Amino acid sequence: MYGKYVLKRVLNGIAIYIILIFIYSILFNVTMEATVRAQIEEVVRAEVMSMSNSTITPAEITKYGERRKAELYVQYKLDKPVGERILFRALNTLTFQYGNSTIIKSSSGSNRVMDIVLEAVPKTLILFSTAMIIDIIIGLWLGIKKAQKPGKTLDKSTSVVTMIVFGMPSWWLGMLMIMFFAYIVKIFPSGGLHSTPAPEGFAYFIDSIYHLILPVLTLVILGFWGRSFLTRNIVLGVLQEDFIMSARARGIPERKVLYGHGMRTAAPPIVTMALLALLTSVSGNIVFETIFSWTGMGNLYWVSVQQNDVPVLLGNLSFTTGLFISGLIILDLIYGFLDPRIKVGGKA
Amino acid sequence: MKLSDLKNSLSDFWKEFYKVKSGIFGLFLFALFLILVIFEPSLLQFPEANNRWRDISYWENNPKSAPPEWTNFFSSKKSSVSDVLDTPEEKDNNMGALRMREYIFKYNYDYDLPPQDMIFMAEGSGEPMVLLNLTRPDGESIDLIQKNYSLGENGRVRISTEKDSKLEAIDFASGFEEYSIVDGLDPSLVNPNEILFSKAEVGMINNQNPLKGEYVLKATIIMQNESDVIKNGKLIVTGRVFGVLGTDSYKRDLWTGVVAGIKWALLIGILTAIISVSLGVVYGVISAYLGGIWDTIMMRIFEIFVSVPLLPVLIVMSAVFKPSIWTLIFMMCIFFWVGPVRTVRSMALQIREETYIEASRALGASHVRIIFKHMIPLLIPYSFASMAIYIPGAIVYEATVSLLGLGDANIVTWGQILSDALNSGAVLNGIWWWVVPPGLSIAVMGMAFAFIGFAMDKILHPKLRTR
Repeated sequence: MYGKYVLKRVLNGIAIYIILIFIYSILFNVTMEATVRAQIEEVVRAEVMSMSNSTITPAEITKYGERRKAELYVQYKLDKPVGERILFRALNTLTFQYGNSTIIKSSSGSNRVMDIVLEAVPKTLILFSTAMIIDIIIGLWLGIKKAQKPGKTLDKSTSVVTMIVFGMPSWWLGMLMIMFFAYIVKIFPSGGLHSTPAPEGFAYFIDSIYHLILPVLTLVILGFWGRSFLTRNIVLGVLQEDFIMSARARGIPERKVLYGHGMRTAAPPIVTMALLALLTSVSGNIVFETIFSWTGMGNLYWVSVQQNDVPVLLGNLSFTTGLFISGLIILDLIYGFLDPRIKVGGKA
Repeated sequence: MKLSDLKNSLSDFWKEFYKVKSGIFGLFLFALFLILVIFEPSLLQFPEANNRWRDISYWENNPKSAPPEWTNFFSSKKSSVSDVLDTPEEKDNNMGALRMREYIFKYNYDYDLPPQDMIFMAEGSGEPMVLLNLTRPDGESIDLIQKNYSLGENGRVRISTEKDSKLEAIDFASGFEEYSIVDGLDPSLVNPNEILFSKAEVGMINNQNPLKGEYVLKATIIMQNESDVIKNGKLIVTGRVFGVLGTDSYKRDLWTGVVAGIKWALLIGILTAIISVSLGVVYGVISAYLGGIWDTIMMRIFEIFVSVPLLPVLIVMSAVFKPSIWTLIFMMCIFFWVGPVRTVRSMALQIREETYIEASRALGASHVRIIFKHMIPLLIPYSFASMAIYIPGAIVYEATVSLLGLGDANIVTWGQILSDALNSGAVLNGIWWWVVPPGLSIAVMGMAFAFIGFAMDKILHPKLRTR
């Protein structure tokens, strides 16, 4: 039963991914083709330049250039009608052939967009998953505390803080944190993944963690309030159900009522909430990386916008979309696992 | 549901809302922002700031990277405050064809740190010659500059002591300072005003002691031709501190920028929230009401929109299409409407089963009538609550897109101010008055709407109400 649910959800996700890639291809087709044309011009010019000192006449060189250009146009299907070009581009993107970048290079010197993006992915995942794990642990703990005594001082004061930080951009807080902790009280580095030159062995590990503290701290300070507020609402909603009252009436210890009865029911929405928070946080705080010179995917957006490197920008977007959708699928699978009503198609 | 019913339910809602203190506080902040927007013209020292924010020449008379004036209060060394002396003593001397006009400015210097610059400005035409002379409290008199102008018709004289009197100031200092320091001094590293406003003694180039008292700056204009005219002479003293929130490194007044940004933030937030929440509510209700195959199709489309990573797509679309503020709002609405759909749909599924819906269907009411007259009005309180919650999100997204330098270049938003701050290294140089106020404004505005929205939410979900 669960297997069928998994299959259905995964296929659904893949379909959505394909549709989105098609939409991207239609939206950004004009820009992307302009870039490809410019790249072809560049290649042909470089080839012609290398031939100019040989014995071939200029007329032949021009002719060769034209022919070469036509060849490359055919190779990239630029001679085909619009619909076919879009289809070709979408299929390329779906098979992760993002083409070559115009300016940006990966640290190994490759200018394949895929290499550049793949280099950035783990860095983003490390930063945000570390922050989110801490965030979720604190948020859950605080949320349960709040739900146990609703309306009391702790609940009220933390709710107020939740609203205060509600509209605060994470990158702005990051700027303040850097100003304070890296330039006034000099206890943390202002950014980067590790010191330069990077230390070896175990020292490298310590150094990385040292560089991770400030960005993670910023994300956690801003994040866990909202998490605890949502947890509180979910748990409080469950605690007001009739079966909790009957459990209490039967004399079951409060601890067991809370964790055995209450949390078991509240678990699926809480897990969903936590993971969804992870996803939206990665997608929503992506610019945050730049403030800390964290060379992940968010920083790649920044760099490719500054350098106007369209292939990297679009490749990065397609990959982010893929990751985002995979995250959503995993989320649903966990939810289905925790809440048996989902997988049989019943109403949640 | 009639209009009077709606009015009643709204007034009931208000009675409940009035009891929630945090909601009232949010409303108070919102009102404060509105008042600031309404009185913006009278609050701004630089009325043209909205159109000329990026025009460097508009800001040229301000100090560069100057902290706010009130920082003097906390610092042991008082920085000079910016001042405009526009009522000088005027003297005219006519010697035949040669006419001379003198503007005498008296500046009382009572600070520890000298002004960044003194700028003499006048309007005129023809080819006048301008001489500046400064008499210090200790009786020293320094000729700062002598310069011929050819102004043409309606030209402008602008002398900045910081740029134009470097050599004269060093020359003056060399009379007191040790030779080894003066010799080989790079004039481009010297701010003449630091010398002019310090005690004439050894060390006046590197470790100045301020010389307090009344300085007299005399501008003499010599006009030889009939057509030469000069008028409206004024002296602008650009201090070390400036205004309410200081200036950035482009000499722009940040208070002006922050106040001018309020209306855009409100516009972006409210417009995006209203449009997208309305769309989402209507979409959710229609989907639930129609049910069956239409519900399935509409929910599939909804799923596609939900699967879009919002900010990355917004960034790429802004980078590719270079949107104006209106296009950006439109683009945000395309993705924001999905927010309330799921909740609205489940609420509408319950409403659909109510008997009065069945009754009106039996009476032959059209789908449109049932949806807009009988279902959506019930969801209005919820819509308002989610609008308030979505406003901060829209503001932050616009700020983020602007931070990347992709904002609308014709307006001033908080995100753009922060973008300039980031790109000019304000964080590195500790120019906190450039970073804190715009970001804090975003945060406070977000907070105001969060207070309002959460208060409404509390009323709408009585289950979560604390006993």
